[in-house]
Parts: sequence; C-alpha cells; structure tokens
Amino acid sequence: MVIILVLVAGAFTSAEWDFSSLLDSQQRSQAFTRMLAWIKTFSSPDFSPEFLKHSWALTLQTLSAAILGISLAVVLASLLAMGSAQNVMVGEEKARGWMRHFPLRSPAALMCSLCRLTQDILRAVPDFVWAVILVAVIGLGPLTGALALALNITGILAKVYSELWDSVEESSYEQVRILGGGRLATLFYGIAPLAARSVQSFTLMRAECAIRNAAVIGAVGGGGLGADIWYQIQFGAWSKVTTLLLFTLALTLTADLASNFIRRQLRSDPNHPRTVRAKSTFGQLSRAYVGVGFTLLVVCWSVWFMGWGDNAPPSQQSRNYLEPAIKLITSESWQNLKFFERMLNPELDLEAVGLGDREKVRALQAEGKTVDLFAEYRFREFWKPSAWVAWELELRKWFVWRVVKSSSIPLAMAIVGTLMGVLAAMALTYPHSYAFMVESSHFSGESPPWWVRVQRMAQLVVAKGTGLISRGIPDVMWAFLFIAFFGPGLLAGTIAIAIHSMGVLVRVFSESVDNIPYRRFEQSFIGSRLNCFAYTAGAMSWRDWMTYSFFQFESNVRTAVVFGIVGVGGLGFFFTFNFEWFRFERAGTYLLMIIALTIIIDRISRMMNLSRVSC
Amino acid sequence: MKRIILSAMIMIWTLGLVVTGSTLPAFTAERPSKLVMTAIPDDSAENMREFFGLITQHIENKVGIPTEYVHVANYAASVTALATGQADLAWFGAVTTAQAYIVMGDELEVIAARDIDKEFIGYFIANADAGIPPVNDLKELAELAQDKNWTFTFGSKSSTSSHMMPRSFFTDQSGQNPEEVFRTVAYSGSHDVVLQKVANGEFHIGALGQPPYDRASDELKLKAPIIYTTPKFTNYNFSTRKALGSELIGQIHAALLSLHESPEGQKALGYLKSKQFVDADMSEWMGYVDLIKSGVDIGG
Repeated sequence: MVIILVLVAGAFTSAEWDFSSLLDSQQRSQAFTRMLAWIKTFSSPDFSPEFLKHSWALTLQTLSAAILGISLAVVLASLLAMGSAQNVMVGEEKARGWMRHFPLRSPAALMCSLCRLTQDILRAVPDFVWAVILVAVIGLGPLTGALALALNITGILAKVYSELWDSVEESSYEQVRILGGGRLATLFYGIAPLAARSVQSFTLMRAECAIRNAAVIGAVGGGGLGADIWYQIQFGAWSKVTTLLLFTLALTLTADLASNFIRRQLRSDPNHPRTVRAKSTFGQLSRAYVGVGFTLLVVCWSVWFMGWGDNAPPSQQSRNYLEPAIKLITSESWQNLKFFERMLNPELDLEAVGLGDREKVRALQAEGKTVDLFAEYRFREFWKPSAWVAWELELRKWFVWRVVKSSSIPLAMAIVGTLMGVLAAMALTYPHSYAFMVESSHFSGESPPWWVRVQRMAQLVVAKGTGLISRGIPDVMWAFLFIAFFGPGLLAGTIAIAIHSMGVLVRVFSESVDNIPYRRFEQSFIGSRLNCFAYTAGAMSWRDWMTYSFFQFESNVRTAVVFGIVGVGGLGFFFTFNFEWFRFERAGTYLLMIIALTIIIDRISRMMNLSRVSC
Repeated sequence: MKRIILSAMIMIWTLGLVVTGSTLPAFTAERPSKLVMTAIPDDSAENMREFFGLITQHIENKVGIPTEYVHVANYAASVTALATGQADLAWFGAVTTAQAYIVMGDELEVIAARDIDKEFIGYFIANADAGIPPVNDLKELAELAQDKNWTFTFGSKSSTSSHMMPRSFFTDQSGQNPEEVFRTVAYSGSHDVVLQKVANGEFHIGALGQPPYDRASDELKLKAPIIYTTPKFTNYNFSTRKALGSELIGQIHAALLSLHESPEGQKALGYLKSKQFVDADMSEWMGYVDLIKSGVDIGG
C-alpha cells in the first residue's frame, strides 16, 4: 500500500502534468465539443457503399497479416521459450538461494539468461521499429508488417510460455525425469501438458490483441485498420472513424467468438456442471480435431489471401505479397542490416562525465558543459533539498541522465493509468459478475420478483457492454481519440490506459469471482449481496486481482512507451525522433533504456513469482 | 536430447547472423524487371496512391518497365527503402534527401524536381478565432506569444517545409526555440493535418508547406489564415540510386521531364501544384546536408 502511494506521488512529481485541458474552461468546452461531435456521429456512421468496401478490404488485410504474424510467433516463441524456461533449459540443479538467479553458474544457465535477454529485446523494441528494420531486408509491403508483428509477439509469447512452464510444480512432473526422460521428454510429457491450458488460452488471447493492434502493417506499405483510423481521427472525420471503429469492434468480437469456439473444442472441464453430458467416444474425440482443423483453416486462409487472394489496398492492383519472403534466404538482403549497425553503438556521452577522449573533455570543461556534481554542494550536504536540485541540474548536462529521466513520463502514465483502471475494474466487477447478478439466489436464498431479476440482468448487460467496448477498442486507438479531444499529453495517454486496463481487468477479475464455489458465499452471507461481494468475494480473489494488475502494469509500461510515438511525449517520443532522423547512436541509447525498463520489470515479476497472465 | 535443444537455440541465435560473405551488392547496370517507387507520406494515403500512381503509369509507358507505387506511413521507412535498394525511386523532401545522402553518399542521385521546388515557401497559419494578427517576422510572433499559452504544431519530424525550415527561421529570427515560446509544440504528422488541426482550434498556430495549403478548400483557409510567409528555400525532388545504371536513370529522367505532355501526367502535376518537372542536381541540396551535419538544433 505504502509502495503504491509512494509510486503515485512519484508519478505526479517527476513528470510535468498539464491539466489545463480540464481546468481551463475554454479548452474544456472545446474538448467536450469534440467529444460530443464524435458521440453524435454514432447515430450517423459513414455507410456509403464505397467506404464500406474500403473498410472491408482493410479489415481483411488486417486480419490476414495479424494471423500470419501470430502463427509465426507461436512457432518461434515455443522454440525460444524452451531456452528461457529454467526447468527446461537448466533442468535439475543443486544451486540454492541466490545462486539460482546467478547466470554464470553453468553453461545452460548462461544460455537460459541469453534467451531471456533475446525475448526481452524482441518485446521491448516497438513493432514499428522492427518494421522499418525489416524494410531493409525484405522491402515494402504487408508481409514486412506481419513479420514485424511476429517478432514483437514472439517476445511476449516466449516470456509467457517460459513463465507458465516454470510455474508448474516440480513434483508433478518428477516421474518423467525419474523414469529416465531427458529434458525434452520432461517438457513434452511432463511440463507442457500440465501448462497446456494456460498456454492455449493465453495464445488465443494474444491473437485477439494482435488483430486489434495490427496498425503497424500500415507503417510500411500494407494498409490496415489502425493506420486509417489514426488518419481519419486527425481530420475529425468522425463519421468515418465511427464506421472504422465499428469494423474494428466487429473484428475483435469475431476473434473473441472464434477463440472461444476453439477453446471450447480443445478444453472440456469435467467439473463444470454444464459440461457433464453423456457423449459418444467419437463426439469426445472429434472436438479436438474440429478445433485444430478450424485453426489450420484460418491460417491457410490468411496465407492464401496474402499470396493469391484479392488483397489489394484500396485503389490498387492485388499481387502476391508473399514473394518478398524469398529474400529472407538470400544473404544479400541480410547485408542491408548493416544500415542499422550504428544502433549497436549507443551514445553514452562519456565526455560529459569526464571520461573518454581527454581533449574533448577539456574543450567541454572550458564551456562548462561537463558534469561537476559536487561543485556547489558536498556529498555530506545531502539533507539539504537545494543540494538535490543543484545535483539534478548538473546531471542534466549528461545525455544519459536525460535519457533516464525521460522514462519518467511513460512510467508515470502507466502507474496512474493502471491504478485508475484497477479501481474502476473493481467497481465494475460487481455488476459484471454472473454469480452476483444472475445466480445470487443460489447462495443468498432470496427469490427475487421478475422485475428485480430484469433490473439485475440489465446491470449485467450494461457492465459487460462497457467492458467489451473498452477492451475491444485497442489502447492505441483510445489514445488517438483522447489526443484528439484533449491534445497530446500525459492526460490523454493516462485516460486511454485507464479505460483499456479497466476493460481487460474487469473480465479477469469477475472470472476469478465467478470461479469461487457458491457454498463459500453461502457460509458468509449476511443479507446484503454488496457486502458479500466486498468482504467475501473481494477478499478471496484479492491475490489474483493483484497479480493480474501487476501484469497489466507491465504491459501498460510498454504501451506508454508506444504512446510516446503517437505524440504523448517522453521516452518513446525521443526514441522515434532520433530514429527517424537516423541519429542511430542516440536512438540506441533510448532503446537501451526501453529494454532496461522491460528487463527490470520482468525480473521483478519473476522474483516475486507472479506468473499469472492477462492480455 | 541435449543436442536438439542446443541446435534449436543455435538456430534462433543465428537467425539474425546468417549474414555470410561480406561483399556489398555488386554495382550492376542490369535492367531490373520492376521499378518500385515510394514517397514521404506528407498527404493522405488515398491522394498519394492516386496521383503518384499516375506518375508511375507515365514512367512505365515511357521507360517500358512495370513501375509500382508503394505507400508507406513513415518518413524513415521511405529513406530506408531507397538506401537499402528496396525501392528504386523516391519522392523526398529536402531533409529526407539530406538524410538519404548522409547514409548513402554518392550512391544517391537526384534526378528531377518541380519548378516550384527551387523557390519553395512555407506558411505559418493561425486559428481565425484566436485573434492572432499577421506578423512581419517571427520575432514579432515570439513577442506576441509571450505569456499567451499558445500551442503550436509542426507537421512530421523529418519534414522540411513543415518542421525543419520553419523551425530554423523561427530560431534565427527570434533567438528562441519554439519550445521556449509556446506551451506545447507537437508534431501532427503531415501538412494537411496541420491545416485541419489549426482550423478546428486544436492548435493556435501551425507551420506547413505551400502546395498543401493552396489546394485546400476555401472554407478551411478562412478558418486558418496565413500569418507569415517564410523566405524561399529548396525542397522536394525525385531521388534514385546510381546502381540503376546511367542509361535507365537517363530514361526515367526524360520521362519525368516530359510528365506535362501526357494526360495522366497533367493530372498529377495539377495535384502537385506545378507546371512541369525540371533538371535537378544533388549539389542544390548540399546546404541541407551541411546544416544537419553541423548539429543544428532540431528539437527532440
């Protein structure tokens, strides 16, 4: 609790918050006019046949590129996760205590931490940067976007897979090892089947996210819904935005339904009352085949569409976008990666701290541009607040310090946004919970009249709808919208994160409430459903909620970095600025900071054993 | 078993390192089977696909090689594509030309520019309701902006007429960075968006190039009048790679210079607000290269 308060206080002091768009009456009214204009167009979306055709083409493109990206990512991620899961790569070992976290204890352990580093880098580098880098290798086109997406998702999936595998209790797969199975056999016959359910549900969840966030495909010549929405929002073409958003929502919903369908086919929960039905052997077995077949069908479709289907971006000829893939096997195009070599040599600006080339240091000293930390205040004067201010000013002359400081903006956005999202999700969980809204008579013993039941049903529907919309619209698109309303800044980004987190969290929060057996409620029911929710359900699922929230926080930090790219500021902004100016040395430093952030948060979560996953 | 894991690991690790043999792509003058053209995205994708599509059609007819326009949504992607040989022809602004020169060196060849590009101008525009009068120079604007909490928007970060030149005129004339004068300084992405955002009051002031402003509707122009016109500077051009061979480059050059003779070329020129394409040479853009290399403050 104290930590959270400190973090929030830190978030508000370290970054410059600009609330003038809320406090200044003129700006507020402007923001509301724009919001009203947008809400009004919901009654009149642009349904002209031309635009519908345009949106439909974009939807198909987004879908096929996203599916292609995610199927590649699943393959790559499983391989990478084998390396970065401690119980697969390192296996049994004697090391205890802190030694277990020390990477140099054995070659396998070193390999394991290298794989983790790879997946962190894959995840931390924003997908549009992967896209531009891939342009050098395979040229322009939607395939480049899909591959960029694949690299980014590989990083995310590999992290999750390895964590899920690592979280399987050792005692439950010991037998395989005792019977003489090697590490791969232990994985295939012991660990993987035990973690299969979570792996599968997370993969499907991630696939939905990929479809929603596939805006990157447009950045390198592919088209796609995300890029177009951003463009239309900037123009205030709200009726078109609404149409495109409706298409995005429809796509997300379809993906949601499809993944639920696959999930249902592949998983049967014998303990669930609704699944206990007598079935023939054929009926039981065929379900898995139907699920796998459906998945394969979708993948085949996307490959076909990308290659030979009617896949032209609006007003262009369709062609085979898979052709450039051939360039991946010729070494000549890999040569082009040299173009980005300078990124590996980040600027550390050592001269400013008095290291490196002597002459340059002297020249800088003459101009007073080197950091002279204890010029004004000695170290032992650390209790004076003014000393800290002076030290900070001195440090600002050092480029690396400015880089580190710029991360305060995404962190502040993520902290405040996640907190708001968590609080809102907790409040919304009550009406969102099936147990409390529809089946409460099972534990409360009441038999409400029909109109009370209808009212509760209505609450449930409204809550579900709110959750669905707030997570169905990607966080980046929320950011686009709020930037258009409030102007670019921390405020727009924070609200976007809060709303999206609320939508994601309310689903998992209420799932964990609904999974509690009703008799637990029955024992403690004292006449008020709300009390029962707060003191029993809330208390029982509290730990789950916190784990999910921490995960949401981690992914929100990355989202906040990406928001910098779309105009909110901070680390992401400076990174793209330098990247787009081909100042790769400086961009490299910012990139190191982004990677460092990802790694720090990841290692903290691994140490705390928070291996639950949400989207 | 160990070996399988190990080989899987090695496979992943070498995925990015299969770069073997370090010979650079050989200097070939073979005729390519296809030309790829790209452009910096300074307008809507639909517009650019339509009109640059017309130019590729014209080139295809004249040169006899299938030519395709690929639209990208990112300035850096277009430079990367030309510099790494993934595109053959690119429509660059002055800044992107200089960026490409810095990474490509003499491999870059500028082949043609519009007549208006040699004397290009940019505009500072202001929201009509904000009551900002036209100014004679940008020092005056900076003084007016004192304590007003005005907001300002550039176009794209790597744009010449909607970022670099307006910024450098502003700093030269007023002695201050825009960031010190205005409450927010944002990058809206492209010229037409700057106009749109200033017109609807999202920003008080913005900077953009001449042609996008000229082709906008009168209604928009009324909502966002010009308050300052910049001095003249050099801007856009078509750039290519020397590796295409002098013969092919000569043919493309001839095709571009005769753009005004074909009906589709006329249409494209109408969009580009120009009468015809004229000769151009990299030397005319070297000033930008020096400017960027001198470490001029470009914000960020």
